[in-house]
Amino acid sequence: MAKDQQPPAGGGRGGAPQQPPVDPKYNWPSTPKTVVGTRVKRLDGPDKVSGRAKYTFDVKRPGMLYGRAVRSPYPRARVLSIDFSDAEKVPGFKASLVVRDPADPKTNVVLFQGDEIAAVAADTEEHAIDAARAVKVQFEPLPAVISVDSAIAGRAPEGVFPNGNVRAGNAQEVGDLAAGFQAAAHTLEQTYSTHVITHVCMEAHGTVCEWEGDKLTAWVSTQGVNSARDNFASGLGIPQANVRVICQYMGGGFGSKLQLGPEGLICAKLAKQAWVPVKLTLDRKEEHLVTGNRPSAAAKIKVGVGADGKITALDAESWGTGGAGANSGFPLPYIYHSTPTDTRRRVHKDVYINTGLQRPMRAPGHPQGSFITEIMMDELADLVKMDPVEFRIKNLPPEGPAAMWASYLREGAQEFGWSKRHPTGDSTAGSIKTGMGVAICTWGGSGRGPSPAHCEIASDGSVTMRLGTQDIGTGQRTLVAMVTADALGLQPSQITPQIGDTQYGVSAGSGGSTTAASTSPGIRIAALKALEALMDKVAPALGVTADALVASGGSIQVKDTPSKRLSWADACKRIGPQPITADAEWQPGMSSVNTSGVQFAEAKVDIKTGIVRVTRVLAYQDCGLVLNQLTAESQVYGGVIGSLNFALYEDRILDRRTGQMVNPNMEWYLLAGMSDIPHIDVRLKNMPERGVVGVGEPPTVPTAAAIALAVRNAIGATVRSLPLTPAKILETLSQKA
Amino acid sequence: MKPFAYVNPANEKEAVAALSKEHEKSMPIGGGQDLLARMKDYVTEPDRVVNVKNLDATVTHVSGGLRIGSAMKMVDVAEHAEIGRMYPAVAAAALEVGTPQIRNQGTVGGNVNQRPRCWYFRNEEFICYKKGGNRCFTPECENQFHAIFGDGPSYIVHPSSLAVPFVAYDATFRLLSPRGERMVKAADYFTMPTKENVKRENVLEPDELLTHVILPAPGALKSGHYEVRYKTSHDWPIAFATVLLSMNGSSVQGARIVMGAVAPVPWRAQAAEQALTGKTVTPETAAAAAEAALKGAEPLSRNAYKVQVAKTAVERAILQAAGLPVA
Amino acid sequence: MPKRKDEPGFSRRSFLKTVGASSVAAGVLGKAPAVDAQGANVVGPGPVPIALNVNGRTVRLEIEPRVTLLDALRMRADLTGNKRGCDRGACGACTMIVDGRTVYACSTLAIEVQGKAIRTVEGLSAANAPLHPVQQAFCDKDALMCGFCTPGFIMASVGLLEKHPNPTPEQIKKGLDGNICRCGTFSRVFEAVSSVKGGRRG
Repeated sequence: MAKDQQPPAGGGRGGAPQQPPVDPKYNWPSTPKTVVGTRVKRLDGPDKVSGRAKYTFDVKRPGMLYGRAVRSPYPRARVLSIDFSDAEKVPGFKASLVVRDPADPKTNVVLFQGDEIAAVAADTEEHAIDAARAVKVQFEPLPAVISVDSAIAGRAPEGVFPNGNVRAGNAQEVGDLAAGFQAAAHTLEQTYSTHVITHVCMEAHGTVCEWEGDKLTAWVSTQGVNSARDNFASGLGIPQANVRVICQYMGGGFGSKLQLGPEGLICAKLAKQAWVPVKLTLDRKEEHLVTGNRPSAAAKIKVGVGADGKITALDAESWGTGGAGANSGFPLPYIYHSTPTDTRRRVHKDVYINTGLQRPMRAPGHPQGSFITEIMMDELADLVKMDPVEFRIKNLPPEGPAAMWASYLREGAQEFGWSKRHPTGDSTAGSIKTGMGVAICTWGGSGRGPSPAHCEIASDGSVTMRLGTQDIGTGQRTLVAMVTADALGLQPSQITPQIGDTQYGVSAGSGGSTTAASTSPGIRIAALKALEALMDKVAPALGVTADALVASGGSIQVKDTPSKRLSWADACKRIGPQPITADAEWQPGMSSVNTSGVQFAEAKVDIKTGIVRVTRVLAYQDCGLVLNQLTAESQVYGGVIGSLNFALYEDRILDRRTGQMVNPNMEWYLLAGMSDIPHIDVRLKNMPERGVVGVGEPPTVPTAAAIALAVRNAIGATVRSLPLTPAKILETLSQKA
Repeated sequence: MKPFAYVNPANEKEAVAALSKEHEKSMPIGGGQDLLARMKDYVTEPDRVVNVKNLDATVTHVSGGLRIGSAMKMVDVAEHAEIGRMYPAVAAAALEVGTPQIRNQGTVGGNVNQRPRCWYFRNEEFICYKKGGNRCFTPECENQFHAIFGDGPSYIVHPSSLAVPFVAYDATFRLLSPRGERMVKAADYFTMPTKENVKRENVLEPDELLTHVILPAPGALKSGHYEVRYKTSHDWPIAFATVLLSMNGSSVQGARIVMGAVAPVPWRAQAAEQALTGKTVTPETAAAAAEAALKGAEPLSRNAYKVQVAKTAVERAILQAAGLPVA
Repeated sequence: MPKRKDEPGFSRRSFLKTVGASSVAAGVLGKAPAVDAQGANVVGPGPVPIALNVNGRTVRLEIEPRVTLLDALRMRADLTGNKRGCDRGACGACTMIVDGRTVYACSTLAIEVQGKAIRTVEGLSAANAPLHPVQQAFCDKDALMCGFCTPGFIMASVGLLEKHPNPTPEQIKKGLDGNICRCGTFSRVFEAVSSVKGGRRG
């Protein structure tokens, strides 16, 4: 979410019925250390490493067919006719579907390469591909908007998008800009930009749809089983109760799988037509073209800075493209602002071009805002001859639990060896130049209700925690078990988490780094309520009242007489045939919002080739109460590497004449491999008193800027756009010379 | 992929008999690392595929040199003690190809004969000269990875890593067809594009197989091989060079300098060779030779940076050959 | 299975000769071997019976020659452990071990690996049995997140360690350079592999 879309501080969802604050007896212990706060290995690790974990991509249902979409090769075209006659002759062909009716002017124009036109299903995937290729579509290619620059300059074809190619936003202005620039000792005017990248989930989007009468079961590679269910129901015009969505394992989403893609409904319709289950999964080319992307971002900035190093005013015109009709906003300036008075103006334009539409991509808006702002910051720091760390500290918002950058900057600088950083431009001999850079991040990551959880304790001692959430690779399944186990004095392996299935209830999709903060309170409260009921049954056996009991170390014991206890198994025998059940929802007081992070990077640049090697990264990240140290750290490693890719490698490249993507694969859409990964140090800053805050997104925000600034520091020249290709670096060096 | 018949010949004679006179109608499959990808992208759509993994994959001594069977796997070339000792640049090139999985499957013949990586060639949406169309899409467009030598009609760079040291070491290729065998020098095997031959990158006829690479006696050579790639892990080189020096004391008596990824063929830099002949290798003479190597480069609209990168590759390959520090 | 005998341009082939030492399924169709005019053995393009030696067991399939090893095992033998990420030999999610060497199964034809020893991630450990040391190390070091690239990384790691039982850091990096992870587990994959010493197991 862009900064202005973040939920208000303190968590909670505006508009929802006010929840009473949590009863203190349910709150996190002040020094969590039994299970919560420790390092717990993923419960599903063994299933994943053994290949037993079944992803949507792996699901096979009896009689299942394979679906395949027919897609437009043109960025913009009218569909004149669709002829299935050759497709029907392909061995194994079983069903077909028209997605864009040539006769319907409201839908017969495709707006990006890869857009669905029709679909087929066949007995094998090979035959489905053969059949899809045999569908004859007549197109009338139409003029397309291909270039952001041409669109802004008014040189692009008109009549492509309903309200024009450029949607100008309203200027937002705060403070007295004129006075601010008047007060500046130096003024900087520069343009910075970032590029379009795609999500590249290792598991493609896709679904397996199986009808039984008018009831649909769908396995979907999704970040939200319940949102997918809603999408199926509304798209097919059937009751939500008729749809069950299952996703036990999924191979990455990064924001692109929050909603069901068009392939979902197409698959469901093929399955209805064919009367057998259908699997429709995309291939890598389709993934690049149609399953979303991070919009580009550019900003022309005029910024003033006083001799004391404080920014006095900032005036920014920004723009970007989210594809064929989608927006491209991002926060600017990112975190820093002029003090004491916030003095700034910002106007943003969304530019539409005929490419696939953007979808949220890990920390939407923030990586763009971070790069653009942070490069500017170092250029300003050089103008006032101030160290970049000190310069940043000078321009931060006031410190607070969710604004810890100043202390992280100081501590991190110390740990990183920042004092050894030379002023911009490495003058040591030889062609390898070394430099250091720093950047900061923030994120919301709040919890919100209702996020209900249902706990059951049975007489055989088994414990089930059931909720309609999903594990998208974060370790959520393990968190469910951990939070439950912690409340009950058990080990995570003794808990059966039931997630990933709409049968288990309704919980929000896993986006915005909100899942842990949203689900953990309800899980803990439900577990504690179930425990209360268990203690009521156990107390008579130990000759005390229930409030004298505590669950610890696998037993229920008397608080001041630990020798008086029953093992968990013996305690549960007293439950009887009806399991204990307890339900609870999210409550305020156990989670909060906003995090801070700081990252330092060191890079070496070979000035004779333009090749960059990042040697080390240090990441400080807080996220309130760290539930699982092990998996929270992995989120930070993952975010850093994702941002390194954004800085150096991946790039959605369009042919400038036709607007078609030239690298829709994993050969020329570059992603780092093992030899490209720097040494990464992760320092999680545990703040148990803040409750749970999400950590999935913030770590992927600042690394790209830190790397770009390390490069700048190394070569003594500024590259103001991503990615940092050898061509750009050599060009920048030759201009400097 | 289009369905195809699969042929498993017992020997090289059966193999060539299973090929076709028609361009890409019957394709030999070595490791399949390139062919299968092209078939999945419908760039190549053969009716039949002929297994050539059972052809000669051995290394034998011939006349002081080595004869390498084209079915030899890249990993085996990279780890072969004698290839490494006699033709270090060949071993070095083989080791940098792709990834371990690719080296485990890819063959010498497949590496030499693989088709260009040009993304217009590889994407179905673009019908370029090489696919029977009437244009090349690279001029003025996305040509950042294309050639800096040559003036069309195609601007691909030859994708083979082995081709460059093969040309440098003056290898000969044994080609076999139903009409018999012929020996073609590596330097003559790869062809600059013309309107007539643009659908191919070499002289191999559609019903011909490259069965062996014959490397002549190496003599006392100092060799260097330097590749510049953007990603270290798995990437195509931006530019690379093989340098072979025969020395007379401390001065260069003769040099062979061949560049890769800069032209539709391995690019022999004779001006650079002359610049180095008679000189002692120093950072200055290496830089001057590299400068000479790139004289005459005609970069396209987006690949001027390649000139600098190629220059660096040549310079560092020379320094490496001379045993001097590289960077 | 659909027959292609009515398709123009395709002649009927019904003979199978395997590549490699052991002969498999030659007589399954009960017909005499067919050869083409030049004397070479030809099969397809229609489905052909093959037998694959996977994790020590024989898997019998009838598939077209164009089906890759990856798709044959995943879609027709329910061996879904190894995944398809790019289908072009660039991401490594499909990495299997064939005759002791790691390969991209997406870039290998199923009919070409008859008679070879094929190992997939499923073959490293049986259900309810201890995990292979590499699998265990991945769990211990949290070298996985979504897990989709993980089987490929594990097979690449097993292949690496069987070739270099005590690899240097450089050998580990180069040995795993054929695998991509989007979640960003590389750092912990490296730690996991570094922590496994010694040679092959199982």
